[in-house]
Amino acid sequence: MKFFPGCMIHNRYFGIEKSIYYIFEKLEEDIEPLYNFSCCPAPGITKSISDKLWFEIAKRNLNLSDDDIITACNGCFTTLSEVGSTMGREVRHVIEYLYTDKIKEIKRKIAKRIPLRVAVHYGCHFFRPSIHKKFVSSEKPKILDKLVKVIGSESVDYRYKFMCCGGGGGVRASSLEVARELLEMKLRGIKERNVDAIVVICPLCLHQFDVGQKELNQLGKRYEIPTIHYVQLLAIAMGMDIEESGIDMHEITPPQFMEKLIRGESFEEL
Amino acid sequence: MNELKNELKKCIQCGTCTASCFSGRVTALNMRKIVMDYLSNERSVDVHDEIWFCLSCYACQERCPRGIKLTEIILKARQRITRKKGLPGRLSLALNSLKKFGALVVAKEEHVKMRKSLGLPLYHAQFDEKARKEIEKLVEKYSEGVLI
Ligand code: SF4
Ligand code: SF4
Repeated sequence: MKFFPGCMIHNRYFGIEKSIYYIFEKLEEDIEPLYNFSCCPAPGITKSISDKLWFEIAKRNLNLSDDDIITACNGCFTTLSEVGSTMGREVRHVIEYLYTDKIKEIKRKIAKRIPLRVAVHYGCHFFRPSIHKKFVSSEKPKILDKLVKVIGSESVDYRYKFMCCGGGGGVRASSLEVARELLEMKLRGIKERNVDAIVVICPLCLHQFDVGQKELNQLGKRYEIPTIHYVQLLAIAMGMDIEESGIDMHEITPPQFMEKLIRGESFEEL
Repeated sequence: MNELKNELKKCIQCGTCTASCFSGRVTALNMRKIVMDYLSNERSVDVHDEIWFCLSCYACQERCPRGIKLTEIILKARQRITRKKGLPGRLSLALNSLKKFGALVVAKEEHVKMRKSLGLPLYHAQFDEKARKEIEKLVEKYSEGVLI
């Protein structure tokens, strides 16, 4: 399998990539970088210009290799799976792959359980448009809730759980205030449930939640809820060092949270 | 355009789209009204600048009981706007960066260093001249003159 990181993971959230290689090594599965890939391209922005532009750049990426492609970004997943389907190519999201093919094995490879209370956020393009995403409910997906349970965390329900992070469709780039207001709608619902962290499966959602909270801090609005990609959490539960996961490069990293990640199960025993 | 018109004619004004739209709770975006405006006043979707507030979350499209492809219709309308007026806000910077680096989000020196410190290779098209040229050509060919 070839890993397609997309711009956000390759150029900002490298810890996600590091975590994926670690997980695949533990699962004894091959994975290699897809060399010379470009932006997928991002569907919201390029499809606002021309379908052809979107299609042709995606096609170039898909033609870089004959192997199946795996990604950890909802935007890349949507673009590459939609264009791939017209070329008979298989493109998978790492979360769908881990859930469908590997959930039993993951259970056996957990080195330390991490008992957190978390709010999971799927991100729209993981489950919609449903025509290309038959593996998952287009209204109330459960895959990620089940995956966090495997590492000993509890997924709590919250207001607006299936709502967009507020950054999609190019809105974060074109109208930051709107993206911020929507982010606060999400954050208020999450804050009510008193969680340790938000678990996402897309670097753009991660960026919106993490950098978005830093921006809110500057406006005097404090939420202080750390955000983490599921694969970072899983890699740590499988035994990877926190430093390798890249979490310390995120903006919102309260010390209590970092401590819980480091201690894992032993935290509860104290 | 005719295809679009027929599609929108199926609308029964039930309001499911607007009720599903989180963006519409904080902006002027209201899909039921936009469709209505088309049906009764022949005002095309692209006269409504608030479609730039669409998150492309596909909730309205998935739930429309008449199966109208609302999100796709919004994106098509945006294409007509960008051809006339260009891209709004920082979106045009993004398109230029796609053309120049093959990336919407470009790695700076600090990011290159951090990747190296984690032992990760650099394999984005940004770091390969031939790949960059290939993308530049595709953007020039297919961006419909939207580039500044
Ligand atoms: S959900 Fe569909 S049928 Fe109902 S108002 Fe919106 S476009 Fe019309
Ligand atoms: S796709 Fe756009 S218009 Fe439709 S519900 Fe989502 S944000 Fe609203």
